[in-house]
Amino acid sequence: MKTVLRTDKLTKRFGELVAVDRIDLEVCEGEVFGFLGPNGAGKTTTLRLLCALIGPTSGSAEVAGFRLGRDDPKIRASVGILTEQPGLYERQSAWENLVFYATLYGLTTAEAGSQAERYLRLMGLWERRTEPVATFSRGMKQKMAIARAALHEPRLLFLDEPTTGLDPDAAKTVREFIVQLRGEGRTVFLCTHNLDEADRLCDRIAFFRRNVIRIADPDELRAELYGRATEIRLMPAPRPEDLARVRAVPGVREARFENGSIVVASADPLHTNPLLIRALVEGGAQIAFVTERKAHLEDVYLKIVEPIE
Amino acid sequence: MTAIVAASPARPTLVRAVCVREWREALSNKLLVGMTLLPPVVILATGVLAVAAAAINPPSEHDVQALYAAAPAAAGLDPKEAVQGFIATYFLILFMLIPTVVPLTMAIYSVIGEKSARTLEPLLATPVGVGDLLFAKSLASTVPSVLVTWIAYAIYLGSVIALGSRAAQNAVTAPRWILAIVVMVPLLTLLSVNLGILISTRVNDVRVAQQIGGLVVVPVVALGIAQVTGRVVLDNGAFLQMSAFLIVVDVAVFWLAKVAFQRENILVRWR
Repeated sequence: MKTVLRTDKLTKRFGELVAVDRIDLEVCEGEVFGFLGPNGAGKTTTLRLLCALIGPTSGSAEVAGFRLGRDDPKIRASVGILTEQPGLYERQSAWENLVFYATLYGLTTAEAGSQAERYLRLMGLWERRTEPVATFSRGMKQKMAIARAALHEPRLLFLDEPTTGLDPDAAKTVREFIVQLRGEGRTVFLCTHNLDEADRLCDRIAFFRRNVIRIADPDELRAELYGRATEIRLMPAPRPEDLARVRAVPGVREARFENGSIVVASADPLHTNPLLIRALVEGGAQIAFVTERKAHLEDVYLKIVEPIE
Repeated sequence: MTAIVAASPARPTLVRAVCVREWREALSNKLLVGMTLLPPVVILATGVLAVAAAAINPPSEHDVQALYAAAPAAAGLDPKEAVQGFIATYFLILFMLIPTVVPLTMAIYSVIGEKSARTLEPLLATPVGVGDLLFAKSLASTVPSVLVTWIAYAIYLGSVIALGSRAAQNAVTAPRWILAIVVMVPLLTLLSVNLGILISTRVNDVRVAQQIGGLVVVPVVALGIAQVTGRVVLDNGAFLQMSAFLIVVDVAVFWLAKVAFQRENILVRWR
């Protein structure tokens, strides 16, 4: 896959404070890339660096095919950013806000109008397009801010806490929008504290605290840190001979009873699970459910990222 | 995906978009509209009433002697006419106050308003250059102020021609004053706007910024007092010198505002 963002020891200092310390990132086109870290870890500063809003102290980066520091206006034209605060013109209507920003991104009058309409409809705000943004709820304002960030169809979209403070319905709209963007081949760089959301949406996650600690697929990381486990629920409740049969299957590392189920840890569940099921059925057990047991991303996060003192 | 090619807009497009947005914002703010219109309306109404009152009420002997002493050129004129001419000229100086007061409020709201509403970061995330943005913001505050001053002056001119004596008519139609209104008003407005922007980069409170920016009226008021008391004669040469001086100061203040108005400063240092 084509790389859309690459950094090489990108660093930002504010006087003595090292806000971002020699980060190396590589993000591919069409990927939803999670960026997780505690408050004060330098996530917002990293976003501002990558959007060419502030300059690096040292290191280099290439964003959307353009060199940071040399092609800054082109980078800003090629990326979209959802900032921490929606930052909308509250006295002006939703339509006026979007058309204004479309113009600043160099869209023609016709394009500005059609893009504003497209995103207002997509975000479910078309019916309220003529109303001042001040009358909107927090969720509506956030959707407006996301629409503004995507209005010029950027290759790469930076979203800083897109669903914070949103009700479930609005959060769902935003998540569906992110999935849609990925479907269109666009890249989303997602800063979030919502680990469940990161788990559901992100293809890869960078764990960050001034520097990138680890970048990985969340499932692979789970498997590496906690192994992979399968939960088998039997009807009626499993018997000791069922557990013995499970333990005898090749590849099983560990098997135990837990809340009326058998929980099995194995190195390669894709290979082991069919053997487990066959062994249990041949032993006369009736299987109700077979589910993958996942460690929570929160556990993974807390294991990798130590809190900032 | 829709085929869109985003880029920095052409400067005229940017200026038009920023001006339209700022004017919409300003028009929806009743306080700002009131503060913009009040000074010209008060100066205009007072000026017209004063010229009209001087036409009705004859001046005292003491006033006439004081006037001849301050303005020797008026000696020999009919006292009533001379007083009208004097008042008409005095109010022309007050018209020079409008471009120092009116745009200041708009410029301050234009930056402090964006700071407090946190709208600057998304604005700076666009491909627009900050110099162009600053230029557009300056124009958005300058144009209405200049227009308001010119309209107020035009009404004053018409009123004095209709109501005033020949001396008053000659005073308001003197080429040096027309030159002052046409040339110096935009220059004073730009100075006030860019000072307002510069001050707004340092403070977060509109009232504090207005108090500091209000100092820009001091030189104009001092000039008015100096002329009324006969210490300074505002002839063609004086206006040309002042215009040249204002051009230099305008360029310097715009440059300073541009230095203060940088992306990283705004995002990291402005609080």
